[in-house]
Amino acid sequence: MSTDRELHLDENQLLWAVVEEAELPLPLREHLSACPQCSANKEMIEQDLVRMGQMAERFSPSPRRRVSLPVKKARRSIQWSWGWRACIGAAAAVALILVITWWSPTTRTTHRDNANMLALEMQEAEQLMTEVGRLVENALPYMYSDISTESNATSDEEFMQFVIPSIEDEILSYDLENGGVLLC
Amino acid sequence: MPKMTQKQYHARVSDSGSQVAAVVERARAGSRTAFEQLVDLFQGDIFRMAYYRTRSSMDAEDLTQEIFMQAFKNLDRLRMPERFRGWLFKIALNRIRDFNRKKKFRALFGALDDNDKVAQPYAERRDRAEALDKLMIQDFWKQVGLFLDKLSRMEREVFMLRFMDHLSIKEISQAMGKSESTVKTHLYRSIEKFKKEHSMRQFLQEATA
Repeated sequence: MSTDRELHLDENQLLWAVVEEAELPLPLREHLSACPQCSANKEMIEQDLVRMGQMAERFSPSPRRRVSLPVKKARRSIQWSWGWRACIGAAAAVALILVITWWSPTTRTTHRDNANMLALEMQEAEQLMTEVGRLVENALPYMYSDISTESNATSDEEFMQFVIPSIEDEILSYDLENGGVLLC
Repeated sequence: MPKMTQKQYHARVSDSGSQVAAVVERARAGSRTAFEQLVDLFQGDIFRMAYYRTRSSMDAEDLTQEIFMQAFKNLDRLRMPERFRGWLFKIALNRIRDFNRKKKFRALFGALDDNDKVAQPYAERRDRAEALDKLMIQDFWKQVGLFLDKLSRMEREVFMLRFMDHLSIKEISQAMGKSESTVKTHLYRSIEKFKKEHSMRQFLQEATA
């Protein structure tokens, strides 16, 4: 009796027997097939596992529709559609990269900088042209404008004309002396 | 419910392995009918697999469609027709993983309703509750969910593939891209945890009594 008890499968061996009986050494397999207690213990675990599998199957729904297979010609069209899909995907990726590059902060800053620089240059050029125009009209610096005759040139011109008449006026005076018609 | 041992349960699937390989051969040769046969054979399994992992029959249906489409397109790449089942489940695992990843990503931005995961399955099962006890169904999925949450990602996947999707260790190894010894180790750990789930095991026994 004691010998039988020693030969009984321990839990570890019992579990290996459930996993795969062939894993057990031959004497243990022989014992398992002969010993009703050990085989009952093993079967108890196995039965519970089988019950679980059967119940899972029983408590699951059945597929409502059958798998539909493509027709033979469709195999090629599937490949084509994948090809098109890949092309569209690649095109979308390229477009995305372009958009990202275009709208990236670095690019946007560069564009803005360029526009700003252009506006600045135009402003500077305009200022320069204004300065040149001003110099053409009056080359003297502003501080000398008060003592310069340029500023009241118009009124002085009439006066100077009165004091020193021009050659044309002289001719008119001459004609007047010679009994000509007074024009003014 | 008829009592069936684990061996008998898995034998049901593996017996048809050679027949499946023959159908796969014909499908690879260009037979549309053969591929439709494969759909008939595995649509239920793949749908349930997706359902167990998404808990939504609509998502499971969409995923099933995508999985078979992918299989249909890549059938030429399958070298060994006898490994079709594992190969198909591998596609399914990847597609479901992608789906769940996207779902988590969408949930990050609040695009997903919180009730989507919990409320929807129960609502969908409402129709079936006329025949089956609604409370039992809810309790079952709750118990399963609680248990699966206690497992690591690998243990959970191995456990579900083995006992819910009924794949062999070889098929699990193929589907997960792991060695058989790794699969067995994770399976051992998950069964060890299952054995300690007394309330769940009691529920299973009472429900099928």
